[in-house]
Amino acid sequence: MTDNTPHIETGPLEINQALLKKRNAREIRFRLYGLSAVLTAIMVLCLLLTSIISKGYTAFEQTYILIDVRLDTETIDPKGTNRLEDLAAASYKSLLRAALREQFPGIEGRREKRQLYGILGTSADYDVRDAVLDNPKLVGTTATIAVKASDDVDSYFKGYISRDVPEDNRKVKDLELIWLDTFQADDRIIKKFNVDFFTNGDSREPEEAGILGAVIGSLYTLAITLALCFPIGVLTAIYLEEFAPTNRWTDIIEVNINNLAAVPSIVFGLLGLAIFLNFFGLPRSAPLVGGMVLALMTLPTIIIASRAALKAVPPSIREAALGIGASRMQTVFHHVLPLAMPGILTGTILGMAQALGETAPLLMIGMVAFIADIPSSMGDAATVLPVQIFLWADSPERGFVEKTSAAIMVLLAFLVVMNAIAVILRKRFERRW
Amino acid sequence: MSSAMDMQNFNIINDPITSEPKIIARDVNVFYGASQALKSINLDIGANEVTSLIGPSGCGKSTFLRCLNRMNDVIENCMVEGRINLDGIDIYNSGLDPVLLRARVGMVFQKPNPFPKSIYDNVAYGPKLHGTVSNKDELDERVEKSLRRAGLWDEVKDRLDKPGTGLSGGQQQRLCIARAIAINPEVILMDEPCSALDPIATAKIEELIDELRKRFTIVIVTHSMQQAARVSQKTAFFHMGEVVEVGETDKLFTSPQDDRTQGYITGRFG
Ligand SMILES: Nc1ncnc2c1ncn2[C@@H]1O[C@H](COP(=O)(O)OP(=O)(O)OP(=O)(O)O)[C@@H](O)[C@H]1O
Ligand SMILES: [Mg+2]
Repeated sequence: MTDNTPHIETGPLEINQALLKKRNAREIRFRLYGLSAVLTAIMVLCLLLTSIISKGYTAFEQTYILIDVRLDTETIDPKGTNRLEDLAAASYKSLLRAALREQFPGIEGRREKRQLYGILGTSADYDVRDAVLDNPKLVGTTATIAVKASDDVDSYFKGYISRDVPEDNRKVKDLELIWLDTFQADDRIIKKFNVDFFTNGDSREPEEAGILGAVIGSLYTLAITLALCFPIGVLTAIYLEEFAPTNRWTDIIEVNINNLAAVPSIVFGLLGLAIFLNFFGLPRSAPLVGGMVLALMTLPTIIIASRAALKAVPPSIREAALGIGASRMQTVFHHVLPLAMPGILTGTILGMAQALGETAPLLMIGMVAFIADIPSSMGDAATVLPVQIFLWADSPERGFVEKTSAAIMVLLAFLVVMNAIAVILRKRFERRW
Repeated sequence: MSSAMDMQNFNIINDPITSEPKIIARDVNVFYGASQALKSINLDIGANEVTSLIGPSGCGKSTFLRCLNRMNDVIENCMVEGRINLDGIDIYNSGLDPVLLRARVGMVFQKPNPFPKSIYDNVAYGPKLHGTVSNKDELDERVEKSLRRAGLWDEVKDRLDKPGTGLSGGQQQRLCIARAIAINPEVILMDEPCSALDPIATAKIEELIDELRKRFTIVIVTHSMQQAARVSQKTAFFHMGEVVEVGETDKLFTSPQDDRTQGYITGRFG
């Protein structure tokens, strides 16, 4: 190579000190702006997390009351079969109520009795039944069994209900406080890890409400979304990036895909309502339809991410493959696609994370209904995590406040895991050419 | 047009350069969109010799080279006119599958471009792709032979499972040559194969080219006149999309017929 530039005579480089100072000051200022922006972001994030965690962590605990229940054979197993089915079918409610009355003799009025029974959760009798099923030998004895307290009692012991509030405005009345004090003095109030929160579906009663239904609903929905989005999105991206000629049509398609990525998600919900439900008559509130709607929404994201990943594979790799006689399809599937895969997967996971947090379009197709059952198929009515959060946040009961925050924590945990996987994939398969 | 007629035409043109050309290019025009990159190129490439293409930057050397294995097909707005015959078969108009053509006409690129796979897989990819080996032993043998021929075997025999991208630039380029010759092509096209290499690596590749000439027909694009003089028997000088002069390398460099050739090889332009 010859250097054709004419030689220019210059003196030694003279630096204007004032200019240099100004330049350095500007650099420092810019760095400070950046730093303060990052700090602000971190602070806001911390604030958000602190608020959610401090409100929500109590939901992972549940207050139980230890009660001596006389498990008399007459009520539980009058025929004496001792079969588990019979034990399970028995009514434990009356036994529990009797035990309470025994604990606090002298309670007469109907209202007072109801008040007394009300300190226990609505399905506290299941705790007794489960204890018996666990250990059938208990039948005929008096056993100390931990039963779930009602949501108000639970809130009281978690410190959310203050005694100083006048009785009229207090969910836990004076009389109940006396009973609870008695229990507490006897060391009969215990807190246990709230397993039910992770194994139950939704419920009208805060102490019974769990997240599992929403988690399963979300998983079904995401599975449908992924199954639809990934193949369609990746194949579309491959076709557009590797095979399609550039002409007016592909330009139009490209513009439209980019536009679709920016369409508000509720529009996809309306589309789903109009097409999937009203036209094709698919079931309402089902993960099947939810997944299809979210797939519509996520598809542009995946196509765009996949195209970017394919574009990032250097053309020299394609030339190398074509040059030794690989067909275009072989070039793509043997070389280009494997190299683009980490990028495609990262994009897909981020798209899925976005879909996981999506609420609005699902409201349109009826996934906002109250559903207590845990869905067992893609066609069952179900709800999803963000909608569950929305539903609980909307509920008046005190007990749902902490559930809301706990559900947010569960959702965040899923998102963190998904994003971490994306980061790991990117790091692990990162290639330098 | 029948192939018999083709042959007749060639006889009429009767190029003096070589008696048995491997590749014959006649009246080749190449357009990128509206701009013409090659104008009516007529060139014969002799079998089992090295033909070098020289000329100033942008004169269409790479474009011509890529016509020979139809790599221009993948460039979207590129249009090739005219006729290029490989062993008497028109590679553009006779229905020859470009994929098969590229198996017969291998290519080595300017920048070494090994696949980001192991050294072994780089070389084995072609034979596996074309099914030219039937079992693992044959494949191993083919890989070793190709690497030996590319003069790389001794340097990599202990690290065949290491990524090809981890080699030095010169080694990578030789790996690319090994990859190209592993499928036993008839012609090897090289587009400035040494431009990214230091003199020692360059010398190795040049030695290799001389060695490969016995089995393959080689077309090499180079910006180094010394290199052209060292490795090639024939040289074609391209200028602004035309072949200005073509002939025996010695003659072309010692007594060029055209002023433009003269100017280029004495370094007055380009
Ligand atoms: N893909 C392309 N699209 C449009 N024009 C192209 C393309 N590739 C090459 N050209 C044009 O065709 C002409 C010939 O290019 P070519 O790459 O063949 O030159 P070259 O002789 O190989 O140059 P160099 O020595 O710099 O590699 C140039 O004017 C170039 O701008
Ligand atoms: Mg070139």
